[in-house]
Amino acid sequence: MDYVTLALAKGRTAESTIELLNNAGIDFPDFHTKSRKLVFYNTDQTVKLIFVKAVDVPTYVEKGAADIGVVGKDNILESQADIYEILDLKLGRCQFVVAGKPETTLESTQKLTIASKYPTVAKSHFQQKGIPIETIKLNGSVELAPLIGLADIIVDIVETGTTINENGLKIIDEIEDISTRLIVNKASFTTKSALIHELINKLKSVME
Amino acid sequence: MDQYLFDSTKDTSVGDFQVRDNLISILKNRFSTYGYKQVRTTTFEFYDLYSTMSGTINKDEMLKVIDSYGKVLVLRPDVTIPITRMIASNKQRLSQGSRFFYVLDVFRQSFEQADNKETTQAGIESFGESTPENDAEVIALAIHTLKDLGFESFKLEVGHAGYFKELVNQLALSQNELDQLKGLIQSKNLTEIGPFLERLSVDKELCDAVQAIPLLYGDPEDVIKRASKIALNEKMQQKIKNLSDIYDVLKAYGVEDSVIFDLGLINNMNYYSGVIFQGFVASFGKPVLMGGRYDHLAEQFDTSIPAIGFACEVDNLLHSMTRKNLIANDTTSIDVIIYYENSKQKDALIAANTLREAGYRIITYTMDDNRNIDDFSSKCIAYFQTEENLVIDKKRKTPFTNYNELELLLQEGMRDN
Repeated sequence: MDYVTLALAKGRTAESTIELLNNAGIDFPDFHTKSRKLVFYNTDQTVKLIFVKAVDVPTYVEKGAADIGVVGKDNILESQADIYEILDLKLGRCQFVVAGKPETTLESTQKLTIASKYPTVAKSHFQQKGIPIETIKLNGSVELAPLIGLADIIVDIVETGTTINENGLKIIDEIEDISTRLIVNKASFTTKSALIHELINKLKSVME
Repeated sequence: MDQYLFDSTKDTSVGDFQVRDNLISILKNRFSTYGYKQVRTTTFEFYDLYSTMSGTINKDEMLKVIDSYGKVLVLRPDVTIPITRMIASNKQRLSQGSRFFYVLDVFRQSFEQADNKETTQAGIESFGESTPENDAEVIALAIHTLKDLGFESFKLEVGHAGYFKELVNQLALSQNELDQLKGLIQSKNLTEIGPFLERLSVDKELCDAVQAIPLLYGDPEDVIKRASKIALNEKMQQKIKNLSDIYDVLKAYGVEDSVIFDLGLINNMNYYSGVIFQGFVASFGKPVLMGGRYDHLAEQFDTSIPAIGFACEVDNLLHSMTRKNLIANDTTSIDVIIYYENSKQKDALIAANTLREAGYRIITYTMDDNRNIDDFSSKCIAYFQTEENLVIDKKRKTPFTNYNELELLLQEGMRDN
């Protein structure tokens, strides 16, 4: 029996995605939030669910280790993976922003240093604006960087802006809106066309 | 010296080379059955040639060298352009068409893949004809090639470079906007194309046509019908007619099951002008084969020759074949190992050479060479000893007295293996 492999990011989006899949009639009976298993099958064994780290989802899908992935637009942009981005699942909505200390502006005469979990996104955004920058890759607590003097500004995702505000930073610029997307491997889209289109259509129908 | 050891990952080991060589010979055989002949172009090309051709190879991606006159050269960054240059400059008569194939290394560097500067491409170029029959034959050859390699579930996605070009001609986009739009279409990102076009304030009909492009995918006849409905002008209709003509010939070849149409297919090489295609095999994300029609490339060399071609990425093919276990693992490359005592040296060496003349692969050692026999993998072992001569194969030990007996025993031993 042929099946499609679906890579899902561990963490917040996982539960709401599984709920969405359930609504679409794709049920994973073994799955519960506290399970440490990384592989699950749905009832009729047509979908194999694998849990991977969010940043790795685009890689799994691009390389064909998974046919389909569910992951935030932030990770897709950062990875620059060559994949199809078919559906906006409208989950986990947030925004890519540029933030800094209240007195910071982008019209600086000195080269700006930017700390971010997303150096590629930061680079391409400022390149488009024609502002020369230097990036520092951080893996967390990015808000700390301007306070401590590691960087002038940060590029990060924000949902409500609370973390930014509480740390005395302000949003300087909005880059783009983020939400969870369904991505598909280009070869699978063609070679496993029937299975994949069925899954996409099921998801589409419950989202309307 | 140690640091160089880590940097030698692109070396091909003995085992890998045999596998790779087998693969390449399958490709070569198939290409030649369609009347293609092998050519080679120089490894060093002029930088100026490529830097003046916009929309082909990113200047930063080329590997440059400077010769003793101070001229800047690049290591062959593409094969289609050099072969076209070669044909254009040779002024060969092309009345009956010219068909060439190649197996050549291509050199490009990119920031993301710094350790992957050289890849091998095996491909074909057909010059002098521009007919749906010629297009279909090349596509059929591409399909035939993938079949030869043993792939079961593969698909060839076929699109048309001209269809998208005609459409964007009416949009008046900046280079930056065009790149963005290409990216959105290439990733079939329907979510963001709408808002993107809204920002450009494009009129409704054009907007709908652009948004429909990523959806023009699937069964060829269905795609042709839908694409024809949204074609905005005569030129776009012609492209659709062209695809439809090609598909009719593909049906005559009986390969329509391996073909899917995708008008959202865009090749980053700007020289493509007509039908374009990409071959995908299951669970390998990148295309293993790419090609298309490029009727205007020769104009760069002040002549006009219609042409179509495709190339396979040999490393990608190898990689996906290994994953699918399509590669026969032949580890025994030696047929017979001969051990001899010094008293029998002459007999043994003469026998070895006679066997070699007959095409056997032979290694000889003296008896006192204290190597462990298990280190070698051969189908048979022959001993030339003072008391008796022996042949050992997987099943038995048999004595022999002369060369004829030896060869008979070896033939049996090979057959049993």
